Amino acid sequence: MIATLAYVVLVLALLATVWGLLTAVINKPPGAAQLIFAAVVELVTVLQSIIAIVNLALGFRPVELGTTIGYLIVIIVWIPLAWFWANSERTRFSGVVMAVAALSVFGMTLRLLTLWTPVPA
Amino acid sequence: MSTPHAQPARRTSSGPGRILVAVYAVFALSASARAGVQLGTKFSEAPLAYLLSAVAAAIYIVATISLARSTPGARRLAAVAILLELVGVLTVGTLSVFDAAAFPRATVWSLYGIGYGFVPLVLPVLGLLWLRRTRPAANVVA
Repeated sequence: MIATLAYVVLVLALLATVWGLLTAVINKPPGAAQLIFAAVVELVTVLQSIIAIVNLALGFRPVELGTTIGYLIVIIVWIPLAWFWANSERTRFSGVVMAVAALSVFGMTLRLLTLWTPVPA
Repeated sequence: MSTPHAQPARRTSSGPGRILVAVYAVFALSASARAGVQLGTKFSEAPLAYLLSAVAAAIYIVATISLARSTPGARRLAAVAILLELVGVLTVGTLSVFDAAAFPRATVWSLYGIGYGFVPLVLPVLGLLWLRRTRPAANVVA
C-alpha cells in the first residue's frame, strides 16, 4: 500500500460513483468515456493491489493479514463485474450499477488504509 | 423499459432490479470472503458470530443468484432467502444490542448492519418490495 496511491483511488472511485449516478439522473446508459474512466479506475486499483501484495511478499505484516489479503483481492473484481452487468442491459440503471461498484472500491480502499497497520513490534 | 410482449411477470433482474442484484452481489462476495477469513483463521475466537457470518454469506449468495435468474422457481427461492435475511438482520441486530457478549466480533448483521451504513437492514425490505412489485398478478398492463 502506498497512501498517495490509495488517495488517488479514492478520488477516482468517487468521481466514477458520481458519474454513474449522474447518467442515471439524466436517463442515459453509461457512455464510452465513462466506461473508459471505469477501466482507468480498475487499472489503478489493480496496481494498488499488486504493490501491496509485493510488500506483503517482501515481509510487511499488517495486524489482520488474512482480512488484508481478502480486501486486496476482492477490491479488483467490482468494476469488471459491474462493467459486464451494466452493459448486458443498457439503461439508466446501468450507471447506478457502475456507481455501486465504484463505491465498493471507495469503501474498501478506506478500510485498506486502516488495515495497513504493521504488527506492533 | 417495456417489452413488446405482455409477460406473466417482470424479470426481477431487469430495470431497477439491476441495481438490487448488484448490491446483493457486493454483499454476497464481501460476506463470503469475510466468512472465509474468519472461519479459516480465527474460528475459535467467536464460533457463533463467525458461523453466522457464513450463514449470512450463503443467504446473500442465494438471493443474488435467484434475483438474477428471474424464473418463477428462482423468484420463490429469492423470497425465502430474503425473508431469512430480514429475520437474520433483525434477530442478530437485536441480540447484539442486548447481549454484546454473545457477539464479541462484528458480523455483517451486528447492530442492524451499522458497519455497512444499515444497508443490510434496508436491503431485504427493498428486496421484498421489489418481488411484490414484479410479481405475476401485479403485471396486467399490456
